[in-house]
Amino acid sequence: MANLNIDSVKDRTFDAIVIGSGMSGGWAAKELTDKGLKTLILERGRDVKHIKDYPTTNMYPWEFEHRGELPVAIKEANPIVNRCYAFGEDAAHFFVKDNDHPYVQEKPFDWIRGYQVGGKSLLWARQTQRWSEFDFEGPARDGFAVDWPIRYKDIAPWYSYVEKFAGISGNRDGIPELPDGEFLPAFPLNTVETYFSNHVKSKYSNRHVISARCAHLSKPNQIHLDQGRVQCQERILCQRGCPFGGYFSANASTIPWALKSGHATLRPFSVVQEIIYDEKKGKASGVRVIDTNTKEAIEYYADIIFVNAAALNTNLVLLNSTSHRFPNGLGNDSGVLGKYVAFHNYSAHIGAEYDGDKEWTTDGRNPAGGGYIPRFRNVYKQETDFLRGYASGFSAYRYQQRPWDGVGASLKDNLVKDNLSGWKVGSHMMGETIPKESNYVALDKALKDQWGIPQLKISVAYDDNDEKMKKDYVEQLTEMFTSAGFTNIKASTDNRAPGLDIHEMGGARMGNDPKTSVLNKWNQMHAVKNVFVTDGACMTSTSCQNPSLTYMAFTARAADYAVSEMKKGNI
Amino acid sequence: MHRRTVIKNLALIIGGAAILPACHRIEGKVSVTLKNVDISADQEKLVSDIAETIIPKTTTPGARDLNLHLFVFKMLDDCYKKEDQQAFMTGMGQFTDAVKNKYDKPFSDLSQKQREDVLLSIENDKDEKCTANPKELKSFYGIVKNQTVNGYVKSKYFMTKQVVYELVPGRYNARFPYKQKQSA
Repeated sequence: MANLNIDSVKDRTFDAIVIGSGMSGGWAAKELTDKGLKTLILERGRDVKHIKDYPTTNMYPWEFEHRGELPVAIKEANPIVNRCYAFGEDAAHFFVKDNDHPYVQEKPFDWIRGYQVGGKSLLWARQTQRWSEFDFEGPARDGFAVDWPIRYKDIAPWYSYVEKFAGISGNRDGIPELPDGEFLPAFPLNTVETYFSNHVKSKYSNRHVISARCAHLSKPNQIHLDQGRVQCQERILCQRGCPFGGYFSANASTIPWALKSGHATLRPFSVVQEIIYDEKKGKASGVRVIDTNTKEAIEYYADIIFVNAAALNTNLVLLNSTSHRFPNGLGNDSGVLGKYVAFHNYSAHIGAEYDGDKEWTTDGRNPAGGGYIPRFRNVYKQETDFLRGYASGFSAYRYQQRPWDGVGASLKDNLVKDNLSGWKVGSHMMGETIPKESNYVALDKALKDQWGIPQLKISVAYDDNDEKMKKDYVEQLTEMFTSAGFTNIKASTDNRAPGLDIHEMGGARMGNDPKTSVLNKWNQMHAVKNVFVTDGACMTSTSCQNPSLTYMAFTARAADYAVSEMKKGNI
Repeated sequence: MHRRTVIKNLALIIGGAAILPACHRIEGKVSVTLKNVDISADQEKLVSDIAETIIPKTTTPGARDLNLHLFVFKMLDDCYKKEDQQAFMTGMGQFTDAVKNKYDKPFSDLSQKQREDVLLSIENDKDEKCTANPKELKSFYGIVKNQTVNGYVKSKYFMTKQVVYELVPGRYNARFPYKQKQSA
């Protein structure tokens, strides 16, 4: 780096740097460039251009060599990512393979990653719910982690802001624990989902089965058309990348929007090694990346830095950014960096049958997936022997029973027979987990990745609270199913490792007190005012809602604050 | 003799519906590229005959028309574990022997009814403890059966002419009347 000339430094200097181009990084890039900042977007993986780089998006089932199934050799070489439901022949190219980017599992943790422009926003399940006051007050009320430095009213306008742009379908359900948003029309519940919704409403005062809210353009507005996106076509092939831009991804939405501004530079193949801290100025001056093609280390400079590398990798970048001032990681005066990592507990399911409504079925496909049951446990007061609660998915469906038994002409006949099953119903739990100091990530002292960056060591596990909550989910859903007249009810729990929920959060949590948190109420580092963390790493607690919408809102809010502070000369 | 060779146009398999021209066959060699299992031309013929018995040509195309036996091999080669592949090979030998013992002629010389009887007697043998059919034989038949039907219902022919697959539904009707169609 010694021979750099002045021009080169100028070429490598921006107003803002965004580390990561996924769900939250895309938003940071959009917001900062909208405000006129010359912004460098760094992505460790390859570029994935909307439509052009979705190679399987328009393939028919028979066009896949193995009709959708992955070869055994790929499954066996990738035991971790193979456990993800979306890792199939049509989308495997968007997932990190186990051996390419190893990490250390001090305890079993299925770390599912997408290293490309757009990150996991190409692969997410698109469920989008706001947090409520009950969620932000949770840690303070129940005495865990630290108090959130914000409340619902602080983030509500920013939820509205990002919902309008991303396009969220849903109903205005009027439920305090799951606030309404700026919705496009909901995908309706089907006959039996509606039946169950009505039944639950009549039997329980505080339990609701609503249309799942999701980031699909059920009826696009002008702002969506302006992004080049059109109405969702109900394909449900989202994990391949959507040529319609029917669901929100960074690739279809925020990244091209940022690039269109003329203020953004997108640099894929750029692994961030560390954020550079300038001891004299008392702030971050830029980042050092390694070009994954040339292996060359390059420094980029900017006035503000947004860290959106995805929760655990953001921790890794910060922990690896050491200096005289911050020997234990950037902004880590408190010593909590990497700690209080939490996730969502998805380890219980329940299925059953319903004998009625056989004159009804559905036609087409539901991108929202069916119904959603907001958290009903411990909302207004503590009522169980575990803290917090869980949301639940709920869906009802029928399928063509076309038995494969037998051989010959009769088998051929059976394979085309119209023989719809009765209704099946199913639910899965989405439980809040409690952030604890003992659930942490750290840099491994010995193992490095192929760029010489320490590997991440993950030590995250379930606890007794999770077990109790899982048991309660099974009991409560069984009771609700029984009461609704569902039969053949079968609950199952699995022993999945944390991580497979792909909702890992925390490590660089927000808080009021710099002694016990890394970020302030603006997602700004307490100790390094020009560094903002707005991905899952910032989360003080996890609630049980799907987290992406909240990351988007935090990001837009933080970008707005960062630019106003810049203009005031405060950073 | 078990040997491997290269089919001139793998797309014929991928397409599913395409018919492999007979002139592309070289006597004694398998007409599909496989990495992990060696299949002789005789064995290919056997699996092809079994697949055709499972999904016979009627007024509509059968397994041979759709090259489903090649799909069975492709799946066997790529999507099954080594022990399953070994059981398949062993079971295929057991199958050949069992047919010869019972009928004193090879499977290919049996009538359609006899062929169906052979396959159904294996398929209906669900008793784990029953030793009438060795477990490798059942594995062999199970793989041929499952992948023949799998290949059939996921073939372009089936998904465009029988039960039509919609890549772009463009609708979701949450409450749609259902009246079971009278089966033909």
